[in-house]
Amino acid sequence: MQPVQTRNGTSRIARNGPDPIIVDGLSKTYRVTDREGGFGAAVRSFFKRKYRDVKAVQNVSFRIGSGEIVGFLGPNGAGKTTTLKMLSGLLYPTGGSANVLSHTPWERRADYLRSITLVMGQRNRLSWDIPAADSFLLNQAIYRIGDADYKRTFDELNELLELAAIIRKPVRNLSLGERMKCELAAALLHRPQVLFLDEPTIGLDIGAQVRIRSFLKEYNRRSGATILLTSHYMADVTALCERIIIIHHGQLKYDGKLADLSRRIAPYKLIAVRLGDCIDCDLSRYGTVVEVAAEYGADGANGDGGKQLVQVKADEVAAVTARILADLPVSDLTIEDPPIEDVIERAFHE
Amino acid sequence: MHIYKLLTTFLKVNIQQDLAYRADAIVNMALSLMWLGWELTSLSIIFSNTETLGGWGPSELIALLGVWRLVNVVMATIVWPNTEKFNNGVRDGSLDYTFLQPANSQLLISITRIVVWRAWDLLLALTLIVAGITSSGGITTPLNVIAFLGLTISGVAIIYSLWIVLISFTFWFTKFDNNVTIMQALMDAGRYPAQVYPVWLRAIVTFIIPIAVATTVPLQALRGDLQWWQILGFLVIGVGAFIISARIWKAGVRRYSGASS
Repeated sequence: MQPVQTRNGTSRIARNGPDPIIVDGLSKTYRVTDREGGFGAAVRSFFKRKYRDVKAVQNVSFRIGSGEIVGFLGPNGAGKTTTLKMLSGLLYPTGGSANVLSHTPWERRADYLRSITLVMGQRNRLSWDIPAADSFLLNQAIYRIGDADYKRTFDELNELLELAAIIRKPVRNLSLGERMKCELAAALLHRPQVLFLDEPTIGLDIGAQVRIRSFLKEYNRRSGATILLTSHYMADVTALCERIIIIHHGQLKYDGKLADLSRRIAPYKLIAVRLGDCIDCDLSRYGTVVEVAAEYGADGANGDGGKQLVQVKADEVAAVTARILADLPVSDLTIEDPPIEDVIERAFHE
Repeated sequence: MHIYKLLTTFLKVNIQQDLAYRADAIVNMALSLMWLGWELTSLSIIFSNTETLGGWGPSELIALLGVWRLVNVVMATIVWPNTEKFNNGVRDGSLDYTFLQPANSQLLISITRIVVWRAWDLLLALTLIVAGITSSGGITTPLNVIAFLGLTISGVAIIYSLWIVLISFTFWFTKFDNNVTIMQALMDAGRYPAQVYPVWLRAIVTFIIPIAVATTVPLQALRGDLQWWQILGFLVIGVGAFIISARIWKAGVRRYSGASS
């Protein structure tokens, strides 16, 4: 294991072998018809089309090392899905290059397609009318998986995802969580080395999200597969990804460790203080008070002063904490990181 | 070998699927029989007024009806059900997954859904062909039978190619849901021998949209009406149509990759 410098100077850990994903200056511009609203505009547009270029992805470059799980983040319409589609081979780029497992993805060569997978949480790979088990068999034929390999992989996936009880039912009768398990299994039967996951946990309840997350983590540990994952759930990102790439308006905004982003974008901590007999104690002299949650005792009297959140510069946390503890009747004190959602949101707009 | 494995696996899964909907299959088989009764009644009405139709007698028309049904079996088994799947795939984006599978995408979209109980129609079609030929008293030689089989396969290839071209257009014109409705209308024209249509219409049916090639021509070969060079010509057309349609499909897929979001 050795640290590697990326283009923007952040470091990460590379495991064995050459980087499976190398993206250099990748761009995609869509040409869309552009017309104003209203009847007149519609008629004019019928005879004379106006076109407008939409730059979905602009000059994006990054490298991902073998076995890494990288979070690919950005608001809706940032260009995440377009990038994943280019890397999996579905779309031709309008500029730049990509090299995944020594292949150019959009050539869509059979041996490339056999070594990757794309999972889109909002789209169905499995046929609705037949049980997942039958779709698995079709995949076995399409991907030319030998019977012994198929059985070994299926047993392993079954152990992690508990598939046996659900794969005999037609897919239309499965719950969303059960369906996602089957979708993931179908996408992994051919043991891909690179996984592109586009919002694999979307719409799932908390329990199902947790199960999918721990499955991905375990799958990555066992198989050493490289994973590029998009999600709007920060819990997915914090649980799985040491490194994140942020993209906004098609441009790369950040590429580095999640922890470093917090330090860079939001170099502060939150001190949560619960005070004893001191209702009017003012915490604003220690830092910015961002939240006051007054709580009352069972008898209706002001049993304590409630919980207050004070925002303090990261390098002053120790000193400020010591002063608060010395000055005030503190009943409870914790130090928290700023919420990751806030950090990411700030990064988008920086 | 891989194609064989793919075909048998898809067939197996589709048989399992159709077995689950037993009532559906039985009702459709009964309906198919009813339609056959109706078609034969129409023929008998026509021949109560005339001896021949474009030079074809009643027995030969029964055989033609058989060939027409044979081509329709292909349509009902593969073309219509997969068109529905294909159009849904374009709409909801699941077609993306098809293009990411390491197998020929044209083959995959052609065999995703196979309505297996249509094999029943195949039986009806073959019965009609055999009955028509034997009752017409026409003398057919083994060579004619081979030509008939070859031209039937070629005819099916032409119809299939036409379908592939029509659904490929979806990649250029995104709103093309009724892409094959036109084909159904044209298929109906093949029920009667091409000779019953006026010359200009016959030319369209034969050459521009070659339904007649798929129905009338094989039967002409069976009757021994065709020269060897005509037979060869129609076989070449079948192979050519297949190759051209595959090219158009590939161009369509490239277009899809260039434009979709």
